[in-house]
Amino acid sequence: MLKAERDSLVETVSKMKSEGFSYLVKITAVDYVDHIDSIYILRNIDSRKDEILEVTLLPSDLWVPTIMGIHESADWYEREMSEMFGIEIRGRKAPRLLLEKWDGVDPPLRKSFTWYAPYKTKDDPK
Amino acid sequence: MTLQTDLANLFNIPYWMSSANIVHNIIGIIVYMIVVSIVFSIFGYMVGWLERKVIARAQYRHGPTYVGMWGLFQNLADLIKLLAKQDVVPEYADRVLLAASLPVILALSMFIVLLLPYSPSLTATSFGFGLLMIFTLISFFPLLLFTAAFGSGNKFADISAQRSVLILLSYELPILLVLASVVALSGSYNLSGIVSAQSSSHYFALLMPIGFVVFFIAMLAEFDRPPFDLREADSELIAGWLTDVSAPYYALALFLDYARMFMGSIIIAILFFGGWLGPSILPPFAWILIKALIIAFAIIIIRATAFRMRIDRVLRFGWAWMIPLSLINLLITYMIFVR
Amino acid sequence: MTITRINVGPVHPSTHGVIRLVVDLEGDTIVHVEPRIGFLHRGVEKLAETRMYMQIPPYTEKLDYIAPMSYDEAYVATVEAAMNVQVSERAQYIRVILLELQRLASHLLSIGLLCNDLGQMFTGFMWTFKDRDIVLDLLQEAAGSRMFYVNMRLGGMREDLPADFIEHTLSTLKYLEHRIPMYVSYLEKNPIFIERMKGVGVVTKEEALDLGVTGPVLRASGVDYDVRRNNPYYVYPKLHFNPKYLQSGDNFARYKVRILEMQESIRIIRLALKDIPEGNALGAPIKLRSPNPVNRISVVSRELPRGECLMYMVADPQKPYRLSIRSPNMINLAAIDHISRGARYADLFSILGTLDIVMGCVDR
Repeated sequence: MLKAERDSLVETVSKMKSEGFSYLVKITAVDYVDHIDSIYILRNIDSRKDEILEVTLLPSDLWVPTIMGIHESADWYEREMSEMFGIEIRGRKAPRLLLEKWDGVDPPLRKSFTWYAPYKTKDDPK
Repeated sequence: MTLQTDLANLFNIPYWMSSANIVHNIIGIIVYMIVVSIVFSIFGYMVGWLERKVIARAQYRHGPTYVGMWGLFQNLADLIKLLAKQDVVPEYADRVLLAASLPVILALSMFIVLLLPYSPSLTATSFGFGLLMIFTLISFFPLLLFTAAFGSGNKFADISAQRSVLILLSYELPILLVLASVVALSGSYNLSGIVSAQSSSHYFALLMPIGFVVFFIAMLAEFDRPPFDLREADSELIAGWLTDVSAPYYALALFLDYARMFMGSIIIAILFFGGWLGPSILPPFAWILIKALIIAFAIIIIRATAFRMRIDRVLRFGWAWMIPLSLINLLITYMIFVR
Repeated sequence: MTITRINVGPVHPSTHGVIRLVVDLEGDTIVHVEPRIGFLHRGVEKLAETRMYMQIPPYTEKLDYIAPMSYDEAYVATVEAAMNVQVSERAQYIRVILLELQRLASHLLSIGLLCNDLGQMFTGFMWTFKDRDIVLDLLQEAAGSRMFYVNMRLGGMREDLPADFIEHTLSTLKYLEHRIPMYVSYLEKNPIFIERMKGVGVVTKEEALDLGVTGPVLRASGVDYDVRRNNPYYVYPKLHFNPKYLQSGDNFARYKVRILEMQESIRIIRLALKDIPEGNALGAPIKLRSPNPVNRISVVSRELPRGECLMYMVADPQKPYRLSIRSPNMINLAAIDHISRGARYADLFSILGTLDIVMGCVDR
């Protein structure tokens, strides 16, 4: 598992692509409450090796650069991550929501989203 | 025997025209229409049942079993259910076009059915240009389907309408070219004349096999049967021109499907298999129905197994194969049989 | 030429579930397809965070309702990796046999549905569906249920194979070996089938890697990658598993890869049935073990019938902290815009049929 910096993410991924990690398996994220890890799983098809990149983000500063320029398959993964974790994807046109239209305040896969809590919407008084 | 001669007297149109007893003969015409309509309805209904059963058998299923013996009344139950449903016209639809097209098509097909001869005695008219008249009326079908589809205001129906015109353009020509060679062989535009020409020689299917194959395929395309069912391609266009048509009209369309199959198989039987000719164990009327049933069976089997063609392939097939083949057939027929 | 926008789905006879495709057509040629998904989104990943470990398999199984056992196994394997549980030898063989049977069932349905998408009146579909039912009978014998099994446990199975399972499986395999060539000759001797499959929806090798497609779609494009060989699990290496791949990357190759995989599955099941050792195949129910994971993060990838599933699990005591599922169908569907661009409108559905998507798995 590799730690990657957000600012150098695009360079890291493209460097790895030139080293043979040309297949993007998955982009996902994990909410650890005090920070959020954005996870990129890349694969080298020929040497049969997987590499996991971890980008640590702070809840106050949630954005990652897009890697769609390097891997076209990042499209839906980034959209899903952005929708489910509220992570802003910079460098691409603001995409339409992929799975569902959430009018709640909390993105659904964040730990602060609990199903038994009253469902908050943007129109509710704070 | 007496009945037969009576009927022959009744339906002999020139006799009717010259006769003073017009009322008597008008009643005769009405009786004839009722008889043919009943035969046609029963045949169409049975073919519908047969289609469900045969396709079910081809697919390891049983088909309808519960309603009536061997599920014979399943289609009737379906028909009643469809007729009982609400008639919804979509907002964007052209109400008049949509409401008028289907009944007009059905009326047209009934008219054609009444014009066809079924036996020497069961013939409504024997005017000289029956063949041309029937095919002129048949070529209205794609146009009326176009108006129905266009009128429903649905995009899938729109695509289906365009396809219907494209098919009209490429499959009318081979049909007419084959008809030309049929007429050349028989020397008559009269359907009864064509049958009697076949009684003195062989069936035309044997005399011009290419023409028969071309005609059969073109009729499949003309009447929306697989593999040419592009107008109601259910995996692409949902139901094609019937997408936005509500249940009562859908019931009409189902009936129309079988009506067209009946027409197509009767026409093929008349033109290529000698119509009502056959050994005299059975009456002539039974022979034409048996022949039509066999042709309908072939059409059903094709439906059970064929994949749907793509529209570009259908057009290429029409222009690159059907038209040259029908021309070749015409040439061969002229060179060998007519000269 | 003007561009027509057509809305295909969410209710459409051949969309394989609830999906909406916004198709832009220029004449009859597809310019752009935009899939809109999420109609079947059930939030399985979120549900998993609120459930105990043993309560989750029924949820993950229902992701792919055409091949549920493979998802069952993928989830249980992830938990096994987190808790460092070894699977007994006999259980490994049983799992391989059941998974390959599930693959057979899934591919049979896929080929049948493809016939339907090509406009055949359900004939091919019913034929393969009948055969799928015979395979499902075997799974029912082994797991007790036809559709959703939940018969994997930590370190083994819920129950051992029934006494006459091997005999039944061998006779079924013999039957399938007789049927599959029948389908092949029925389909490949049909000129319309060939015309609508060959050269349609081509994905080259580079495109396939870039688009990230998986499973049979990837292998049809000439990429020799199969998790069962490249990242082997269970007894696949012992059975000399050999992935099948083709070069052309069109619809036909995608269909053909599935046929070849079915034949390979039959071969593997035969070998596994011959080699299967005696021993204990039963696993412990999770609640009898202390459900305290050893590894915080476990990543497990499995070759499902539709492609590679990767489960990324962050484990907590009692229940997962985060379960992230990489759905093979989702990424295959994401490629449809690229694949179907320039194809005819009618080809969209054959392409969709060869991608073989299951919407439950796409939306999760």
